[in-house]
Amino acid sequence: MTLRVRDLMHTGLLTCPPAATLGQVAALLAQRRVHALLVAEAGQPPIGVIADIDLLAGEWLSADAESLQAMQAMTARELMSTPLVTIAADADVSEAIRRMHTERLHRLVVSDNAQAVGVISVSDVVAHLGRAPLGRRTVAEVMSRGFVVCRAETPLAAAARAMSERRSRSLVVVEASGRALGVVTGYDLLPTLLENSTARTVADLMHPPVTIHPEANLREAVDMMVRHHLHRLVVVDAAEPHTMPLGLISTSDIVAHMAAPNSVWQHLSS
Amino acid sequence: MGENHTATPEIYLSEAHRLIAAVTEARLMVRLFGSLAFQLRCPTFSHLRASFNDIDFGGYNAHAKAMAEVMARLGYAENREVFVLTEGGRAIFEHPTHGLHVDVFYEKLDFCHTLKLSGRLEVDAPTLPLAELLLGKMQIVEINEKDLVDTFMLLLEHPLSETDKAAINLAHVARLCADDWGLWRTVTMNLNKTKELAVMYAALNAEQQTRVVNQAEAILHRLNAQPKSFAWRLRARVGDRVKWYNDVEEVNG
Repeated sequence: MTLRVRDLMHTGLLTCPPAATLGQVAALLAQRRVHALLVAEAGQPPIGVIADIDLLAGEWLSADAESLQAMQAMTARELMSTPLVTIAADADVSEAIRRMHTERLHRLVVSDNAQAVGVISVSDVVAHLGRAPLGRRTVAEVMSRGFVVCRAETPLAAAARAMSERRSRSLVVVEASGRALGVVTGYDLLPTLLENSTARTVADLMHPPVTIHPEANLREAVDMMVRHHLHRLVVVDAAEPHTMPLGLISTSDIVAHMAAPNSVWQHLSS
Repeated sequence: MGENHTATPEIYLSEAHRLIAAVTEARLMVRLFGSLAFQLRCPTFSHLRASFNDIDFGGYNAHAKAMAEVMARLGYAENREVFVLTEGGRAIFEHPTHGLHVDVFYEKLDFCHTLKLSGRLEVDAPTLPLAELLLGKMQIVEINEKDLVDTFMLLLEHPLSETDKAAINLAHVARLCADDWGLWRTVTMNLNKTKELAVMYAALNAEQQTRVVNQAEAILHRLNAQPKSFAWRLRARVGDRVKWYNDVEEVNG
């Protein structure tokens, strides 16, 4: 069956008023946890798109008090991208993909009967790719490639702040070359709350990293985590084990994999 | 840049030649720019410009020490304070006899916009490449008639091309302007001013006025045809709301 744009799009329009300031747009993006908003008066068709990357102009061009004032006064209408790039809801998804790729767009406004009815973005397409039926997977396919690092001399308060702000339960401690020296977790920080703790930096608390290669299968990873009673393993390149790790595989990653609609854990044999 | 009122145009020209000969003999990668460079590179139309204020050079920092030694041998005294205050970006020399000022900019020309010299001094001699001579004028936000007349001379004398070979390299100009909206803004503004003045300038005959206008339009067309970077497009949306150029501080030599 042919996949249509309407099958993957986000239905409905998330908008901001044209007169919204950059600060107001930023607040709306953060509140709605999206990367872009359509610019439209209430009840009117959208006239443009304003994305998080457009808002960078605010910080980028505020070199002094005068330019800051100018950027603070700027509105969504003035900074938005126009014209709107649209695609029909009944168009083949492959056309949407081709246009996003060749025209270097992150999203297309979906129209139906000349009315904007939603948005299809790169994220929507990628999420669909991720929903393809899967078998048992390797560490590389499940791990998180982005992770938070710090140096050994990082004070504990700074480490705690980083974990909190980045919503990460751990930090990988690295040296200048990127080689992992250890891992410190929120659990490791607990004793520092005790009055007799002398720990000052992450170096005082970190434990050695337990590593695994990306080609290993999940069962091997889980086996190591269970045997060592660990919540995460540091994934390193077997050919270059002393360089920056490739990622982390954690209990969260494995649980997310198990919960995925197309995972073997959701397709149970009767 | 300081202004000297006692030196005649002939003194300026002969001194520029003397300096060029000296830096050439010393094998220094130092190139003339500014109004005197236009005189040298636009001999057919040099009569359009009758006065000069100073002698400007662009060079690489690696040759700063050698340049100072050459200038000292030629009788110039350096204002060391300028070199120090600009952290080696600029050197000003003055001749005690005829009072001429020589201004040497190292690694970049820092005016309303910044023009980097890296890789460009090897392209042409004894002046900066024709593209940089054009940009040196077109980047002036408060451009005056003398600067526009220099531009007339360049556009009358030289063809436009996609390379530096005996022509004004539009590919280079377009690339710089496509990467820097502010530079594009000033350059296109001044190309339009060039066209406006050319059709009124009595010292140009009708054919010359047409050539200047056609050359300026061809450059504008080429600049607008160049694909623009994301940074350019984002900056363009902000436009003139935020100042797009630097103020140029006078440095007294």
